[in-house]
Amino acid sequence: MADTPIPLEVRDITKRFGDTEVLKGLSLKAHKGDVITLIGASGSGKSTFLRCMNLLEQPNEGELIVHGENITFKTTRRGREPADWKQVERIRARLSMVFQNFNLWAHMTLLENVTEAPIHVLGKPKREAVAHARDLLERVGLLDHADYYPAQMSGGQQQRGAIARALAMDPEVMLFDEPTSALDPELVGDVLKVMRDLAEEGRTMIVVTHEMSFARDVSSQVIYLHQGMVEEVGPPKEVLDNPQSDRLKQFLAPKH
Amino acid sequence: MIDLQGYGPRLLEGALVTVEVAVLSLLLALILGLLTASAKLSRNVLLHRLATLYTTLIRGVPDLVLMLLLFFGGQIGVNMITDWLYYQFGVDIFISINEFVAGVVTIGFIFGAYMGETFRGAFMAVDSGQLEAGRAYGMSNRLIFRRIQFPQMMRHALPGLGNNWMVLLKTTALVSVIGLSDMVRIAAEATKATHEPFLFMIPVALIYLLIASVSEWGVARLQKRYNVGFGEADEWNN
Repeated sequence: MADTPIPLEVRDITKRFGDTEVLKGLSLKAHKGDVITLIGASGSGKSTFLRCMNLLEQPNEGELIVHGENITFKTTRRGREPADWKQVERIRARLSMVFQNFNLWAHMTLLENVTEAPIHVLGKPKREAVAHARDLLERVGLLDHADYYPAQMSGGQQQRGAIARALAMDPEVMLFDEPTSALDPELVGDVLKVMRDLAEEGRTMIVVTHEMSFARDVSSQVIYLHQGMVEEVGPPKEVLDNPQSDRLKQFLAPKH
Repeated sequence: MIDLQGYGPRLLEGALVTVEVAVLSLLLALILGLLTASAKLSRNVLLHRLATLYTTLIRGVPDLVLMLLLFFGGQIGVNMITDWLYYQFGVDIFISINEFVAGVVTIGFIFGAYMGETFRGAFMAVDSGQLEAGRAYGMSNRLIFRRIQFPQMMRHALPGLGNNWMVLLKTTALVSVIGLSDMVRIAAEATKATHEPFLFMIPVALIYLLIASVSEWGVARLQKRYNVGFGEADEWNN
């Protein structure tokens, strides 16, 4: 039990853009089944922090350990970079990301989107990938849209499709970068429902969001970031219902 | 029936030469174009400068001048090298620059520069979120290029490339000045001999038009293929 490595851990992540330090030594541990919600104002660094976990952003300092594997870095003229990109690709294949702008591949059908990475990155046989994809599409309620192109679907449908694409990789941890922020309000509910179901079935998820209902109802831990630092962290009952810092109280207060 | 005064078969041979030069130049231009675009989009300063030098040179010097420079200048240059080899090592060889090769290389290099710009614009037009999703799912750069970037880039590149091709096709007429027997040169010879310009130039024009029409059809088919998924909302409702 003690020997099973935890799905994801980051330590002392620091990120600078030019002279500005955007992340100031952040750490996080995701155990299996954790649903960790990152909240904070725009510019607090929450999306940047999330993107450091699958190295879409390169942290200037800090460690990233996925399923016990420590990512090795090297220093170049340009700054710090992963030493082995093959390692990065391997790690990324175990961490699926759901983007604010969905980023479904526009020239492929929904089904092709969901089977693309399993076939070309994991080397799954096509028949198996298609069967798995169809199951997942049914789960998110989009099986009848399998042959549609993203441009033919609403934002909510695209995002549910993107979640199916993420699930197809059978990820260790799922990373959600403001998944509902670009959706019309009436479509948000469908996507949140899918995410709640995933949380309930024990998926390990790290979610950057403004949806406090999701944070309160489903997360195991809420982290409130302010200007690149952890201001408060704890179970939702504590952080959301009993905020300690003034800034968090202000952040949570209903606006007008 | 039109009497081509016996020049019929030679005109057709010339037409074949025209097509051969055009197609081979196209292949060379496409490769050079992709390489140039990559060089201009890369972070490597040297590559970037080299590519810019190349495109500036080509776009600044008239095609005809480039053609003559490469062919005659090239032949003189090669002769100087073989002379030096003879005087230094007693090696006696004569290399002559083949007009066909000179023609293809010149036109290929010229349009490599133009297509480089077409490709560069096309690469820049691809939404970066598409590529980021590829990276996030563990795809290697090669895989991202092959499965996502190239198909989406081509959609943006095809109109420009189609245009480049049309101009390339007409530019092949320049090979006549270095002595290559394309159909323009044959028609010019025939005109000199028979004093009947329209008798030969009109068929030549028609053949060019025919090749151009076939090309338009081909490009339209390619566009249909690469536009998959990007149609207007109305198209779907039928």
